[in-house]
Amino acid sequence: MVKNITIFTTNTCAYCQMVKKYLGAKGHTYEEVNLDEHPHRQAEATRLSGAMTTPVTIVTREDDSQEVIVGYNLAKLAPAVA
Amino acid sequence: MADTTTEIPKHDVIIVGAGPAALTAAIYTTREDIETLLFERGVVGGLAAVTDKIDNYPGFPDGVEGLTLAQDLQKQAERFGAVIELGEITAIHDEGEYKRIESTSGDMHARAVLIATGSDYKKIGVPGEQEFYARGVHYCATCDGAFYREKKLVVVGGGNSAVQEAIFLTRFASHIDLLVRSTIKASDVLQQELQEYVDKGKITIHLNTTTDLIEGEDKFVTKVTGTKDGKKIEFDVDGVFVFVGLEPNSEFVKNSAVLLDEIGFVTTNQDLMTAIPGVFACGDIRSGATMQIASAAGEGATAALKIREYLEGRAHPIQN
Ligand SMILES: Cc1cc2nc3c(=O)[nH]c(=O)nc-3n(C[C@H](O)[C@H](O)[C@H](O)COP(=O)(O)OP(=O)(O)OC[C@H]3O[C@@H](n4cnc5c(N)ncnc54)[C@H](O)[C@@H]3O)c2cc1C
Repeated sequence: MVKNITIFTTNTCAYCQMVKKYLGAKGHTYEEVNLDEHPHRQAEATRLSGAMTTPVTIVTREDDSQEVIVGYNLAKLAPAVA
Repeated sequence: MADTTTEIPKHDVIIVGAGPAALTAAIYTTREDIETLLFERGVVGGLAAVTDKIDNYPGFPDGVEGLTLAQDLQKQAERFGAVIELGEITAIHDEGEYKRIESTSGDMHARAVLIATGSDYKKIGVPGEQEFYARGVHYCATCDGAFYREKKLVVVGGGNSAVQEAIFLTRFASHIDLLVRSTIKASDVLQQELQEYVDKGKITIHLNTTTDLIEGEDKFVTKVTGTKDGKKIEFDVDGVFVFVGLEPNSEFVKNSAVLLDEIGFVTTNQDLMTAIPGVFACGDIRSGATMQIASAAGEGATAALKIREYLEGRAHPIQN
């Protein structure tokens, strides 16, 4: 079971929109961290993902285990939030 | 032979991709009440969605953000009933009246298929490029540019995309070295704009410069080495954005009867029909396309009208 979802995004990132749309269509709520509005959280996104890119989606489960999905990757995102 | 048409879902039209060409075609087919399903493996809006600003699409005197145009095209297609499924088409088989489509959601049949799969960024193929992918090596400025606030970048390429994206990246980067293998091929308008950034000291152009090696420390890029006029040249930078052209997304038809040109773009007749009757192609994926959003949209409209003729049994014979 998914406890919460956080997505790191930017204003111009089209793939971020795709992740948000997908989660919305599946009925998930999520916290969005827009890195254009909160540039100081960029290092956090990079630390969690190991990459300099958005979207980064952090799925936290009920047992507090986390899955980090880098980019718009339905093959990983779909099972992570199923 | 078993009548497989009863076993798998049937559609009037399946469109492969949901870029500007596909979405325009879907606006036309659905307005004619032709049931249409689009498959998109990446972002709805295609390359247009990941382009910062589009200044040459008619009807927008002040330009339009790529993402906005993409979202509006999607809305317009969905308004008339187009259905967009997120997934990938992996093969097309000619089974006569119905084409069998393999996808990540299973097999389907379609009376007509439109290939509108566009193209993807080409790699330069140098050491370090793959190793540092998304950790200093990037192909999408609107996706990853924000990570380079007050940092130094190399942009590789000299065409319209490279120049346009280098200009976009000046919003974030403190300085950009533009490495151009030969000369700048971008349009005059873009070259004039580029010159403004060169004059401001934001961009330095290096002509006749190849990009040879990408290196890094602690998993992130720190240096790019190239050759300029026969001499080694080094750039201490935080990232590299590569825009050296595009390669066709046609791998999924390679084992079908659809014909490709020597680069891999899909060949069609004047009705935009491929070598398989009922399978059409339009936009950037079509051999001879002009690689512009306006022309992709135009071809999408033409393809839709030709598909209607085909479905009504009025198609012209194939002349490949
Ligand atoms: C950086 C950059 C800047 C540009 N700037 C401009 C500009 O200012 N003005 C302009 O007119 N043009 C511009 N272009 C070109 C323009 O983006 C393209 O000409 C246009 O997007 C082509 O539309 P299309 O629908 O043919 O293909 P695309 O936009 O490439 O869309 C094809 C879609 O098909 C999907 N797809 C591929 N294979 C499959 C599959 N097997 N299954 C499911 N889906 C699949 C892809 O994910 C993609 O979303 C620019 C291009 C780039 C790269």
